[in-house]
Amino acid sequence: MPGGGREVAESCVDSLNLELVATYCKRLHPNKPELAARRIEAIGYQVGLQLAERYTKERPRFADHLEAIKFICKDFWAEVFRKQVDNLKTNHRGVFVLQDNKFRWLTRISVDSAPPGEAAQMDVNAAANASRASQAAGQYLYFPCGLIRGALTNLGVACAVSAEVSTLPACSFVVRVKV
Amino acid sequence: MASTACFVIVSRNDCPIYESEVGTAPKKDEAAHLHQFILHASLDIVQDVVWTTNAMYLKLVDKFNDLLVSVYVTADTHTRLMLLHDSRNEDGIKNFFQEVHELYIKMLLNPLYVPGSRITSPFFDTRVRTLARKYL
Repeated sequence: MPGGGREVAESCVDSLNLELVATYCKRLHPNKPELAARRIEAIGYQVGLQLAERYTKERPRFADHLEAIKFICKDFWAEVFRKQVDNLKTNHRGVFVLQDNKFRWLTRISVDSAPPGEAAQMDVNAAANASRASQAAGQYLYFPCGLIRGALTNLGVACAVSAEVSTLPACSFVVRVKV
Repeated sequence: MASTACFVIVSRNDCPIYESEVGTAPKKDEAAHLHQFILHASLDIVQDVVWTTNAMYLKLVDKFNDLLVSVYVTADTHTRLMLLHDSRNEDGIKNFFQEVHELYIKMLLNPLYVPGSRITSPFFDTRVRTLARKYL
């Protein structure tokens, strides 16, 4: 793009995501989490479309879906999050799982551990922690899901993206390609 | 040196979202229809060629009498920038396409622009014509 690349502090993007979630989920649609999720995802979709167009300007086009997903895992992730996706799994039938062990936008989120006095029930705690983690962090992953969906759609891969988080700050994005 | 040139951007739904005559030849009424017809007819050939290579600039795709069609495809495979011309200026055309691609990306970055709708901005039009004069 013209002029050298202009940069924004990463904390701004982090804070923007936090504020986006706070506004949509608490202020605008407090009783309709689904609607808030769809709105945030739609914003991410548009941004993903535009970013994909920018980042693919110089490189040759993609031969198939796998190439496009690999582009997302390496170049796109590196441009947006300054690291690459740690693990990519596929079942070769249109489902891809992108796993990021230290997702940058989740590094500042922590979950309170279970209150003391229940240390005896360790496995229950693990499960409870996992569900608390996914509840807390799930909302912050709507925007990245939209980002991935927008980028892939603009590269010709129609898909649906959902996110799961088990232990903060690791999370995984499941991409289902629509045939 | 008079040269004919007609430039069209075709979107994913196979609708033209931008078209303009950028040549320096004097305008003839029936020629405009012919130009559009030739460009639309070469869309099929573009579809075939697009899968054979993963470069963006597809060079010369079709020929009609003495008019040539060159095409440049962006990353999503369905947004095609097509140029009908009668000169053989490959480097100039390639640079023209790259500059218009940058302009198109800027259009997309506009949040009020619906991707796939007609580009009606007069600034875009002026810039494309300037680029055409410069490179073609």
